[in-house]
Amino acid sequence: MGMTKFLIRRLMTFIPTIIGVMLITYIIAYVIPTDPVRAWVGGEKLLNPEALEKVRHKYKFDAPWYEQFSFLVISLFTGQLEDPVRHKLVVQELSYRFPITVEVAIFGFIFLVLISIPLGIISALKKDTPIDFFVRLFALFGSSMPSFVLYYFLILALFVYTRTTYLAGVPLPSTACMNMIASYPESIPVLGHIAFYIGQVPMFGAMMCGEWDVVVETAKRFYLPGLALGLLGGGFIARLVRNSLLDVLSSDYILFAKARGLPKTWIWRHALKNVLVPLVTVLGIQFGGLLAGAIIAETVFNIPGMGRYMYDSIARLNFPAIISGAFLFALIYVTINFIVDIIYALIDPRIRY
Amino acid sequence: MDVIYRALCFIIDLFTSFMERIRPGWIERNKSKIDEWKLMAYAYSKSPIAVTGGILATITVILALFGPLIAWEPYWQYKVVVNPDLWLKPPCLPPSCSGYPLLGTDEWGRDIFSLIFYGYRISFIISVMVVVLGVPLGVILGLIAGYKGGYVDEVIMRLTDIFMAFPGLVLAIAFATILPQRIRGLLDASPQLKDFLLWIFALRPQEYGQLAALLSIFLALVLVWWPTYARVVRGTVLSVREQTFIEAARSLGLSTWRILIKHILPNILSPIIVFATFDLATAVLLAASLSFLGLGPQDPVPELGFMISKAGRFFPERSWWIVVSLGIVLLLIAFGWNLLGDGLRDILDPRTRRAIEVRARAKARAKAAKVKGG
Repeated sequence: MGMTKFLIRRLMTFIPTIIGVMLITYIIAYVIPTDPVRAWVGGEKLLNPEALEKVRHKYKFDAPWYEQFSFLVISLFTGQLEDPVRHKLVVQELSYRFPITVEVAIFGFIFLVLISIPLGIISALKKDTPIDFFVRLFALFGSSMPSFVLYYFLILALFVYTRTTYLAGVPLPSTACMNMIASYPESIPVLGHIAFYIGQVPMFGAMMCGEWDVVVETAKRFYLPGLALGLLGGGFIARLVRNSLLDVLSSDYILFAKARGLPKTWIWRHALKNVLVPLVTVLGIQFGGLLAGAIIAETVFNIPGMGRYMYDSIARLNFPAIISGAFLFALIYVTINFIVDIIYALIDPRIRY
Repeated sequence: MDVIYRALCFIIDLFTSFMERIRPGWIERNKSKIDEWKLMAYAYSKSPIAVTGGILATITVILALFGPLIAWEPYWQYKVVVNPDLWLKPPCLPPSCSGYPLLGTDEWGRDIFSLIFYGYRISFIISVMVVVLGVPLGVILGLIAGYKGGYVDEVIMRLTDIFMAFPGLVLAIAFATILPQRIRGLLDASPQLKDFLLWIFALRPQEYGQLAALLSIFLALVLVWWPTYARVVRGTVLSVREQTFIEAARSLGLSTWRILIKHILPNILSPIIVFATFDLATAVLLAASLSFLGLGPQDPVPELGFMISKAGRFFPERSWWIVVSLGIVLLLIAFGWNLLGDGLRDILDPRTRRAIEVRARAKARAKAAKVKGG
């Protein structure tokens, strides 16, 4: 089948992308003029050349670059790579941070969709009216607003004055619940593994155990960053929905359907299906961007997610962490692209691979 | 709106007469082009969004050019040392507290209103530098990839993929952390360049360490900027390449470069101009975001993002005016470019330009008929 062949070929092109991302990250790290080891070890150890030498040897700084690079990659894949600043396995740190970013991304995505699609449809239907103009302005405001200023004022309105949210900590399900999820892969053959990974996201884990108060707390904690991200990106996507809907509605086959007197719901079904094609790409890219961690939102809203982790790691020249993060980002980018390709093939009958 | 149309026509006439002076017969040869320009000017003057954007963008440019000359207080004077009363003084109108700054002060007692003028210059210069350097880089790589195809295309596209797979801000942070030391070395090596850059950023010679930080933000943004353009341009080139006029040019034996520059580039120029206008806004905001995270210049330098991040520590009671006024400045700069880009998109696209013309003509005719009838 052509489709499978195409997808396999697409998968193959992802491999150089991932390796390239890691290699470029490594090169950036390698050309840096300062000694990263001195940035990692703090305090008294800095005065002890033996300790420095030990760390240097552990991360193969005394070996040639290819050995160093392959050491980083291999130990990342076997899960043995240690974060030299936090003295934890990098895999552990990522498995704590990434689910939190996923939660923020999900809330951001929900608000993005809730804001953009209705606005887009309304402004397409009421083309060239004040509503349409307002949506256009809203889109322009969203892309001109300095994000941190918007965050400050949302915090002011929804936290400082009304206390509808809070800005510290991350709600986690109870230990019993986590243990239950951890036992899934053993008890259930295949689905157990999937359930285990989904359950790593605190909100979904809590849902699985029925701890609804944790879910509510999570929503309370993360709706604000989600709303902020939705406000910033929503107008842009609303414009996209509007433009593609207008394109579709003025196309010949819709006119034909109208002329034949097909019921309105039918016409809408045809129209919306064709609007989906460009929308899926943009939403996919947006979701991928959110998964990479909104660094500024995480800084302002005090969320210990991926973006913050990367930022801290870069500031401490923490290369093992940076390379692992780069690998994760590349993986997300590639996966999202792959999923978008598949969805394309499913919803657009014109595309035949 | 008529004034704007006339002003634009005047500029076009000025340009064409200038070209006529250098190359006699230029007007005759480019008649259709000039007519099209005038039509564009007409469509532009009829689009309120584009006109508002143009006005805001002009204000930005003027303030960026002359801001540091207007600013009445040097940004390096910490007045709070002399007059402790000026520490985070909230804004108030002259009758109640005359003698104090209109928009309040920051924690060094500097007048926010005066700092804004410096901030305009820095934000504007960075965004222009990013777009002027980043866009051509992406366009050239995209042109080469799309036109050459094959092995070259594959290599360039994998490279863009790699850069796009990395979230832009993270990559920019990485570069902004690593680059300053190298740039400082570079600046030490060439004092003329250093003086020139200090001059265009309106900074004192003492601030040249901060200059390296500013430049590293700029370089970081350029490095994450080009992939989008490379990809867009490549896509368009792929579709233009197969058309007959390119085939004709090729069979006439024109060189690859000539075909790329003379025949393919003009066909993809208008979307690039629109994107670049939007990107001026994005670059302003991203540069501010990077310095908000503390990666840009440090204290006396009046960079908008950095000043907002400092004010965040006292937010809201003791610094809301800083966040509001500097936030509005950033918003206005970005909003102007975005409006202009949005308007230009309608004008440069022949289909929508036609629609604007038709609508404006119909309105004018209706008005004339009304006058006649009444």
